Amino acid sequence: MPILVTLLVVAAIVGVLVKTLGDATLVFHEVDAAVELRADLGDGRFRVVGTPLPGLLETRVDGESAVVFTLCSAGAYADVVHVGDPAELFQPGVPVVLQGAWKAGSVPGIAGLDAPADDGWHLRTDHMVVKHDNDYRVEEGRQADIAACGATG
Amino acid sequence: MTETMETTDTTGSRGSRLLGVVTLLGLATLLLFAFALTEPDVRLHPTTGQEIGQFDAVRLLYLHVPLAVFTYVAFVLCAVASAGYLVKRTAWFDTMAYAAAEVGTVFCGLVLVTGSIWGRPVWNTWWEWGDVRLMTTLVLFLMFTGYLALRRATVDPRASARRGAVVALVAVLDLPIVNRSVEWWENRTLHQKSTLGELKIQDLTLFTLMLGFLVLGLVLAWLLLHRFRVGWLEREDAGHGVATAIAERRADIDEGDVDAAVGEGA
Repeated sequence: MPILVTLLVVAAIVGVLVKTLGDATLVFHEVDAAVELRADLGDGRFRVVGTPLPGLLETRVDGESAVVFTLCSAGAYADVVHVGDPAELFQPGVPVVLQGAWKAGSVPGIAGLDAPADDGWHLRTDHMVVKHDNDYRVEEGRQADIAACGATG
Repeated sequence: MTETMETTDTTGSRGSRLLGVVTLLGLATLLLFAFALTEPDVRLHPTTGQEIGQFDAVRLLYLHVPLAVFTYVAFVLCAVASAGYLVKRTAWFDTMAYAAAEVGTVFCGLVLVTGSIWGRPVWNTWWEWGDVRLMTTLVLFLMFTGYLALRRATVDPRASARRGAVVALVAVLDLPIVNRSVEWWENRTLHQKSTLGELKIQDLTLFTLMLGFLVLGLVLAWLLLHRFRVGWLEREDAGHGVATAIAERRADIDEGDVDAAVGEGA
C-alpha cells in the first residue's frame, strides 16, 4: 500500500512537472509563426527568435536610441525596431530572442536595410537576449557557419 | 598515543592528503589553461567579416560544464545510496547518501552561479525565468536544499535517514529532465544544446574541458571522502554519547540497588 501511494505521488509530481514545463517553455515564436499569428497576437507582447541580417541602422525613436534591422528565422523575415541598448554581443548572424509587439507601418530608414521584409509591419521590441549556439571550435580566422536564413549552424 | 589521537580525530589520511595536493595542483593547472592558455571564442561573419562569438566569456565553460556533470554524478550517487539504505538499512549507505547530497548541492549552487555570470555578457541577462534548463536546475537545487534541511530537522536518526532517502529518490527524478531539457524543448530555451554530443569542440579547447572534468572529478572525490568521514565520525560520536549515557545510567541504578540493599539489610 505505501509503495502504491508513493508511486501515485511520484506520478503526480512528474505529471505536473511535464505539464507545467510544457506550457512554460513556449517562450518565443519563430518569425514565420509570428507573421502567421499576427492577427491573433494583435498589439499584445510576445517573444520572437531569429537571426539579425547584416545591415544594422542606429537611429532614435521617441527620443530614445534604437537599432533597426531585419530578423529572419524559418525562412521568414520581419523588420524590427529595437528601442534601448541592444545586447552586448548583438551582431548580425547571432540569434536573438526579442520581446515586443507588432506595429503597423514600415521601420524608419527602411531604404538603408540590405534585405528588408517591407510588408507594412514591424516589430517594436524593448527586451533582447542572445541565443548563442553550442559551437566552441576555435581557429585563427575561422568563419562562422551561417545558414541560408542567417541562423548560425 | 598522540598518533592514535590524530588518526581518530581527523578525516585526513596519507591517501586523502595526497589526493588533496594533486587536486589543488590540478585546480591551479585548470585555471591556467582556462583563463590564460586557451583562446577566446572569436569567429568571423562570412559576409560582413565582423567578429562574432562569446569572446572571453567562453572561459567559464571549463568550470561550468564539469561542475554540472559532477552535480549529476553526486545526486545519482545520493539516490543509489538512498535506495541502498532503504533495502539494507546500514549506516554506510545513509552516510554516503547524506555526504553526496551535501557536496552535490554545493556543486549545483556553483553551476547556477557560474551559469549566471556567463549569461550576463553572453545572453544579456543574469537569469531567464522562461528557460527550462535554468528552471529545472533551480528546482533540483531547491529540492536537495530541502533534503539537507529535512535531515537536520528530524531528531531521530533512523527517521531522518528513511525520510531523506525517499526525498532523494523523488528529487533525482528531476535529473533526466534537466539533462534532456535542451533536446526535448529545442528552440524553446536559450540554453544551447550539448557541445560534446555534436563534437563542436576541438584541440586545446577540448583538452581544457577534459582537464576540467578530471580536476572537478578529483574535487568531488576529495570533498566526498572527507564529508563521508565527518558523517561517520559524527555517527560514532553520537553512538559513543548514547553508550556513555547508558553506562552512567546503569551505574546509577547499580548504586541505587546497592543503597537499597544496604537499607534493607539495616
